[in-house]
Amino acid sequence: MIDEKELLDLCDHAVTLGVEKGADQIEAIAQFKSELETEVEQGEVSSVNRIMGNEIAIRVFVEKRMGSAFTNIATKDSVSEAVSLALQAAKAANPDDDFVSLSKPSEYPSIPGLWNDSIITTDPGQVVNEVVEIVKRGASHKDLVPAMASSGANAYLVAYANNNGVRHAEKTSIGYGFLAAIAKTESGVTPMVFAVDIGRGLDIRKEAIVHEVAEILDMCKKEVMGKSGRHTVVFHPRALLQLLQYTLVPSIKGENVARGKSKIGDKIGEQIASEKITLYDDGTHPKGIASSIADDEGVARQKTTVIDRGVLRSFLWDTYWGNRMGVSSTGNASRNMREGLIEIKSTNIVIEPGTRSIENIISDIDYGYYIQNVQGAHSSNPESGDFSIVGNPAILIEDGKKVGQVHGLMVSGNAFDLLKQVGEIAKEPHYLQGIIAPEIVFSDTSIIAKE
Amino acid sequence: MFDLLERALERTRDLKASYVELRGEDGFIEYLQMDDGRISALTQRIERGCAIRVLADGAWGFVTTGDLENLDGAIEDAYSIAKAAAPTRKEPIELAEINAVRDKVKSSAKEDPRNVSVEEKVDYLQDTMNVIRDYDERITAVTLKMRNASGEKFLLTSEGTRIQSPVNLVWIYPWVTGKDGTRLSAARYEEASTHQGWEFMKETATPEFIGEQVAKRVKLQLDGVPAKGGSFPCVMGPRVIGVLAHEALGHLAEADLTVNTPFNGRIGEVVAAEDVNMIDDGTYPGGLGTTKYDDEGTPTSRVEIIKDSVLTELMTNREYAAKIGQRPTGNARAESYLYPPIIRMRNTMFEKGDYVYDEIFEDIDFGYYCADFRGGQAQMNASFQVGVQEAYEIVNGEVGRPVMDLSISGIATDALFKIDAIAKEDFPFELGRCGKGQTAYVSSGGPTIRFSKGGITFGGKE
Repeated sequence: MIDEKELLDLCDHAVTLGVEKGADQIEAIAQFKSELETEVEQGEVSSVNRIMGNEIAIRVFVEKRMGSAFTNIATKDSVSEAVSLALQAAKAANPDDDFVSLSKPSEYPSIPGLWNDSIITTDPGQVVNEVVEIVKRGASHKDLVPAMASSGANAYLVAYANNNGVRHAEKTSIGYGFLAAIAKTESGVTPMVFAVDIGRGLDIRKEAIVHEVAEILDMCKKEVMGKSGRHTVVFHPRALLQLLQYTLVPSIKGENVARGKSKIGDKIGEQIASEKITLYDDGTHPKGIASSIADDEGVARQKTTVIDRGVLRSFLWDTYWGNRMGVSSTGNASRNMREGLIEIKSTNIVIEPGTRSIENIISDIDYGYYIQNVQGAHSSNPESGDFSIVGNPAILIEDGKKVGQVHGLMVSGNAFDLLKQVGEIAKEPHYLQGIIAPEIVFSDTSIIAKE
Repeated sequence: MFDLLERALERTRDLKASYVELRGEDGFIEYLQMDDGRISALTQRIERGCAIRVLADGAWGFVTTGDLENLDGAIEDAYSIAKAAAPTRKEPIELAEINAVRDKVKSSAKEDPRNVSVEEKVDYLQDTMNVIRDYDERITAVTLKMRNASGEKFLLTSEGTRIQSPVNLVWIYPWVTGKDGTRLSAARYEEASTHQGWEFMKETATPEFIGEQVAKRVKLQLDGVPAKGGSFPCVMGPRVIGVLAHEALGHLAEADLTVNTPFNGRIGEVVAAEDVNMIDDGTYPGGLGTTKYDDEGTPTSRVEIIKDSVLTELMTNREYAAKIGQRPTGNARAESYLYPPIIRMRNTMFEKGDYVYDEIFEDIDFGYYCADFRGGQAQMNASFQVGVQEAYEIVNGEVGRPVMDLSISGIATDALFKIDAIAKEDFPFELGRCGKGQTAYVSSGGPTIRFSKGGITFGGKE
């Protein structure tokens, strides 16, 4: 296994060579990943998979013409070849007069606990045992049928260098457990319900995973009819994240703002959401799974206040679009290593909690729906914010009680209108991949129930 | 590469594994993206690697590596991680028998995209961009994505299979934004071939064709009226009925998923209205999901999922064929050497009926005609959702005003019984990508089909 210092040496080699060969600007990013994961089908471990390898991406600019290249072979010879290919590609490209510069050195944050040695020292047998235990505990619940499950131990080493003097290397680890299960109902089966516990090490909270799945399935076993109209809707953060990822998040990406593709691109300083909403993108959150010291351009991760008590404060930027619009990168560059595309991506969306527990909030709802997950968020219109999704599972709340699951319940509207309809935010955040937020209650939301 | 893999396989003879499979890949892949005339990505790469799957003591070990010099170590690793899983199984995994095949499949592509200059590809993108920009002055932003691939893949198994197959791909995907006053909207389109080379982009997916397809959809969005919410009689055109075949039904008939769905245990039962036939066909000539063999070496086939309204057959790989006592249908597919093969669809479609196209609309006082979609998603309880980016009102039997973004949903097992008219027309296929943890290029289609009220719910806003 290559270490992060060797990866940084390869990046330095690429940068030195690129400059020698005529690049005005050059950057190299090198990653090593080792992913060990188990797969469970129909209650039994069917496969253990190991995906291991190096990925090295080069990007050069020659007279503002960009070229990029990729290799999966971590040797100086191969990297040299990739530098030549990138230079060759740059010759074929049109000049981009708006290109200013690659990233400049920044001060890196200190984030504790991004790496846990147990991820690479653990025997595959132990990773298998974790998932076997999850399935065993799941199957011990009445009516719970484990459908899929997984456990994993992943290590990521990354290094970045460019000829502006940015040099950085770091390592992060991920350990997780996952269970998806169904239960039989009177008319068929419940939707597949899942829960994940994800952290930096292999200390997976197996009982918490099983408890969450069993609790949702219990709510789904009884099937009830819904009512069309405008109702109160509670979104679990896993459902909310999906909706936001395809509506609000594209609108706060600096590139979309710059290209006129954001509905809120001219609304900085304006009230765009309920004053109950304070929303950050925080790439430095110690409990955030997307946290790291630097982004894929070697820029320091940061906490960016996007919405402060309903007022739009900032968008998210990478180096190119930040330079182009005269603002600093917010450390949100994400690189598709094999395809060479750099995009602005959110890290951990953090929504500030409210004061009451979700149980208390639900007990005060006379009629409404608790949306645990959604189908079809990706078919929303990211430009207009219009969405029309299926809540699944969608739990009917009547007289403060969760009474059963509604089949085929559609929730439709516009995400920017929805953000103004926040009734209340629960107090306990859920730490999920991509979002750290509690449940959020929206009032007066358009519901179409299957007839 | 064949020799390298052959030698590595030879050395596994002493391994106490019941099955060893090596899938090698040696190919050229490129990705280009143009945003409003700016090239934002242009990467060409040569990718070489190998996927190793070992069945030992009844469990799988899978390792993927780009280090072809150290295949022995990777095979050992796959064997040992399979052994780590095996003691936890009650029943060992078994594979349905297939005949070992030795074959070299030739590429049908005429013009290898590897040999086409970058300048020509950039010109293609620029031309497409111009067509889109010129279509309507309200078009404000255009992103074009292009992916091309060519190469070879190799399958060697301890049972004696030796297959060399071509890897071909040309793919173009525009995403276009329009603005009218404060109203923003967007549409997308997609064309691809896995059988033709660059000639497909010159003769079929031309800049004029692609540009017009996407730009007209943005225009319709900007001109559209809001959809109503609720259930209405509706007509689904070939592109939408195809995605319903795929999302709403196809996934339920993938044998690894079926056990958790309402289709479980229902082979031989009536699951749809009269005259409904639905198939997945891996042999359909020129189909985006068509190959001669799957990634386990099983010849692909036509799977009659619903025949005369009866659930007849599921899509399988070798493992699930053995598990459910059905034939291996050739549906095991892997995106690349970075992934293990799993059960995937290929070309999924409803078959033709006996209605004349115009008759289908005649009896509808008010309803919707859905012509094109944007994304869809299925759940194991047969709940489906499909985003619709091109739809029209039907008023008194006539197709009328365009409708803004909406989505439709339903419970597939109920909706199948609400089909009450199927056109006897030839139909085009919708070409796209399916995500099931890894990407597969698939096509889907069907004739124009009518659903009576109660089959499909419209997620409108009124």
